[in-house]
Amino acid sequence: MARLLVELKLRLVRNALRSSTAAQVSFLVSTTCAALAAIGTFWLLAQLRPLSSSVDLTTVIFSIFAIGWLIAPIFAFGLDGTLDPATMALYPLRTRQLVVGLLAASAVGAWPAANMLGLLGVTIGLARGLGVLFAFIAVALQVLFCIVLSRFVITSMARLLRSRRGKDLAIFLVVPVFAIFEFLIQVIPRAVASGGLSPASFAGVDSWMRWLPPGLAAHSIQDASTGHLGDAVARLGLLVAVIIVLGVLWVRSLGRALVSTDTTTGSSRVHNAALPLARYGVRGAVAARFLRYQGRDPASLAYWAIVVVIMFVCSASTIVGPHQHPAVVVASAVFGAAFAGSLHANPVGQTGPAFVFEATALSGRRELRAYFSGQDVVFGAIAMPLLVGVCLVLGELVRDPREGFAAAAVGLAGLGAALAMSNIFSVVLPYPMQKRAGNPLPQQAQGYGGHAFGAMIGTLVCVAVAVIPVIVLGNLTSSVSAAIRIPVLFGLAAGYGFGLAWLGVRAAAIVGEGKLPELCQVAMRTSL
Amino acid sequence: MGEPAIEVLGLRKSFDKKDAVAGIDLEIAAGSLAGLVGPNGAGKTTSLSMMTGLLRPDAGRCVINGHDVWANPSAAKAVIGVVPAEARLFERLSGEEVLEYAGRLHGLPAAEARKRAAQLLDVLDLTADAKRLVADYSTGMRKKAALGCALIHNPPVLFLDEPLEGVDPISADVIRRLLKRLVGTGSTVLFSSHVMELVEQVCDHVSVIDKGKIVATGTTDEVRGGKTLQQAFIDLVGPRSTDEEGLSWLGSSSN
Repeated sequence: MARLLVELKLRLVRNALRSSTAAQVSFLVSTTCAALAAIGTFWLLAQLRPLSSSVDLTTVIFSIFAIGWLIAPIFAFGLDGTLDPATMALYPLRTRQLVVGLLAASAVGAWPAANMLGLLGVTIGLARGLGVLFAFIAVALQVLFCIVLSRFVITSMARLLRSRRGKDLAIFLVVPVFAIFEFLIQVIPRAVASGGLSPASFAGVDSWMRWLPPGLAAHSIQDASTGHLGDAVARLGLLVAVIIVLGVLWVRSLGRALVSTDTTTGSSRVHNAALPLARYGVRGAVAARFLRYQGRDPASLAYWAIVVVIMFVCSASTIVGPHQHPAVVVASAVFGAAFAGSLHANPVGQTGPAFVFEATALSGRRELRAYFSGQDVVFGAIAMPLLVGVCLVLGELVRDPREGFAAAAVGLAGLGAALAMSNIFSVVLPYPMQKRAGNPLPQQAQGYGGHAFGAMIGTLVCVAVAVIPVIVLGNLTSSVSAAIRIPVLFGLAAGYGFGLAWLGVRAAAIVGEGKLPELCQVAMRTSL
Repeated sequence: MGEPAIEVLGLRKSFDKKDAVAGIDLEIAAGSLAGLVGPNGAGKTTSLSMMTGLLRPDAGRCVINGHDVWANPSAAKAVIGVVPAEARLFERLSGEEVLEYAGRLHGLPAAEARKRAAQLLDVLDLTADAKRLVADYSTGMRKKAALGCALIHNPPVLFLDEPLEGVDPISADVIRRLLKRLVGTGSTVLFSSHVMELVEQVCDHVSVIDKGKIVATGTTDEVRGGKTLQQAFIDLVGPRSTDEEGLSWLGSSSN
């Protein structure tokens, strides 16, 4: 069975490679990343040799890998058939056979190999003497622990993850993962460069982490290297016991999951009686539908959260670093507005086949204006307070509230430009979307990367250019009393932004009028 | 025959040099309940999409109640209701919200849209699930909700693509009666299906499409020519495969 499932996994990879050039590129990129991760981890762990806190840092790195194993399959679930026990439910297999097979299949692939090879950096960084032998055993057990933990959690959550709510949960997880990723690549390097973060910062973190499975693995190497063989063996024994317990729990949850494949999604009832904005015709109807989606669609909520993360990350260097550049808050406002626009620049693809529902009623220029402006009203009602609020908070964090107000005004103008461009791109460069492995948020369908990139860069550039007059006005009036400057700046920026958005609606309606059938085809090629 | 409610002339569409619809002509009288039947891949969905303004044809025209779908889409869309094969609904709206939304998109005042939505949900046996999200609906419930959305503005012409696929017998009966009632008031219904018994039971007009061409059209009696519609259909499009020699291992006695 183990051999069959390993062959199945390899065949799935091979077939994916044959399916398209994009899949080949994706495989190459993933394998390259895995190789780089292996080399990088090995090098990083090897560099810890002279440090007194090397065991603490090794524990942290082992723990990060375990968390990665825990989270990644939740994103891939539903797209990787080998992860869902339901795919095996119809075959006459014993649970034990299945466990061995799934375990073997999990251990095959570029990332498990990269995990194993990368963590062997401890043979240089932490192990000495007999500790090297313990390092090989500890790393093997650490990888086995990661696989069993990942399988146990996934199998336990199978019923949930297969449901709509589980898929929603995976989408919500994108936000903290995105925030952590941005923190790691943007904030940490700057903190290290400015001296705010050093190896000494991790000293003592393992007072509690040493008793977690990754800590047990790391400390067993340390104990063996310092001659405490009894402690080292005891720690590895404890780790083996944890893996066995997890394995037993996994087997039990697998047994349950195999006979609960037909569980339907728990349905939820909505409390709102009727759609709002009844007095405003088609515009009000579209706005009401869009408003409902902003509250109920996890992707919409995730997009807004991502905008906030981007705004904070743009100003992170000034918030956490020793050097103050309050003007960076303006950059946060521009990027916030631009990304808010670009993340909503493909409403046809994001709506998917349901757009056809709207297209059966929309046809003339007037209806399309109502369609775009209805969405813009809701978009603006959410984005304006969000952008202004974040700018004011950032102004406080960089200890320059005046800059926060100026940035908020720039954000309002940028938002108008972003709305205009998102509407125009929605008819000029519409593209179908699909769910892909590794990301629960829908992405552009294969072959449409250029459309998505063009819409994003186009929106960013246009917003950056459009806000220049407001930035210039803000600088020219910097010496004017805030009581006069702020209201005037806000009023002019909001009026300017509204004008841009209005022009965008009209332009999009003119272009969209003759393209409704093509937009419908884009919507129907979308699979969400 | 009365005035045609649906008039299709030389409608044609190709995908990657393959003719999906190879020039069809069709005339459906007002007040008809017409069926468009054909095997899988015959061009039924492509034809209906072009007739309803959702897919641009390479050539030809379609006139609905006197309005050219492609020259005057606003007027044509105002007089049609569409139920696609895969119910394309807003998953995050509840059943009653999605019907109200459909009514308001078609210009109904909100109060009237709500009233009609409640009545349709009642007739379609969806009242108990009216406040559940469409995402949690079963296939049959989604079909019924899509039908409600297509009917809410009381269109004189209704297009349905495989309306009873995945629908339980009770719901299918409700839909059948609803369609007959609609036709009884003078409205026109054109639906595609490959369930011959259904078409034979309810349709007064049948068109058979195969490989993108209409191979027979007329009243149901004319098309079946004294045979069952199933037999007439097989005679017209021909059986697809008869070679079962290679399956000698199949069956209980072969174990």
